Amino acid sequence: MIQLVFSLLVGLALLVVLYFFARRGKVSAEGSAQQLREARQTLDSLQFGLLPNDLVHRIFAREDLRYVRSAAPPQVESLFLAERRAISLAWVRRVRGAILDLMRFHRGHARLYAQLSLSTEILLAFNFAVLLMVCRLLQIALYLRGPYAAPGMVRTVAAAASRVCLISEKSLVFLKVNQMDTLKNDPSHHGASV
Amino acid sequence: MPFPAHYTNVDQAADDLRRRSLSHMAAPLERMIYLGSTRDYNTGLYYHDGLASRFSEMVACQALANCHREAYQQVLQSSLEDLVQQLDSYVQSTHSAPRDFIAAWKNLQPYRVAVPAETDPLAADFLCSNVKIALSIWEAHQSGRSRQQLDASLPQ
Repeated sequence: MIQLVFSLLVGLALLVVLYFFARRGKVSAEGSAQQLREARQTLDSLQFGLLPNDLVHRIFAREDLRYVRSAAPPQVESLFLAERRAISLAWVRRVRGAILDLMRFHRGHARLYAQLSLSTEILLAFNFAVLLMVCRLLQIALYLRGPYAAPGMVRTVAAAASRVCLISEKSLVFLKVNQMDTLKNDPSHHGASV
Repeated sequence: MPFPAHYTNVDQAADDLRRRSLSHMAAPLERMIYLGSTRDYNTGLYYHDGLASRFSEMVACQALANCHREAYQQVLQSSLEDLVQQLDSYVQSTHSAPRDFIAAWKNLQPYRVAVPAETDPLAADFLCSNVKIALSIWEAHQSGRSRQQLDASLPQ
């Protein structure tokens, strides 16, 4: 009797596991194409919107602080520091959000793409982990001590994020826009390259 | 904006624009505000009669958009000190009274609508934040100048 109940419980547990696997396994072709497009947009936004050296240099430029201290009254200096803190925090938040989006995309698609290199994926996972941790630390530093609290960490985040973008692009060569358009326009593809 | 890629004379139109209308505006901030004002807020398209008559409406629109993005990038990359100088030069070119100018820019924030379309929101926020700070510094400089003038006019 005990053996029967045990077997039934095991069978039931297996059915539940199978049900959840079956639910997760449904990847729609249209959904995949949409996710590919979003991943490309996230990469573009990181590479061309958030990480250009000129922008990062300007947001965290110390020469602006020196100028404000020498040429403006204290209340303008307070305004300047508050504004720069808000912008620098928004910058880290955006970079972190984009990295998280890329990471989720990779996690979801790596298992479906046969041509992935194991070493590249391990390197990517390591860079993702380090980057997310440094972003969080930088957020805390900027929040507590203002926009000029951790210039070294800013450089680390910008460099690591650029590296992740490059590796991500190499890893997922199918993320090219022309192929994305083919995916969108040609129903026969239906995300088959994924 | 969806423009066909074969408009080869867009560069010529942009050069023409730089040589004629924009050559009178030394500061990128002034160029950005001016070019932003040539855009129709309802359609997002740029209009310039002179340029359109020499080229075509579509080419003129694309040339204006390119020059607008260029000016925006230059303002974005300007240091705060440079931006205060640009603001000073811009106010002088408008012949506005400093007090009126400060009041209008603080209330209406016209620089917010002078940002080109499809720019990164963070970069646009950064530019607006910088202009806001530059305006405060310029205002402080103006108050200092007024005080000095007042002190000089008082009998010793």
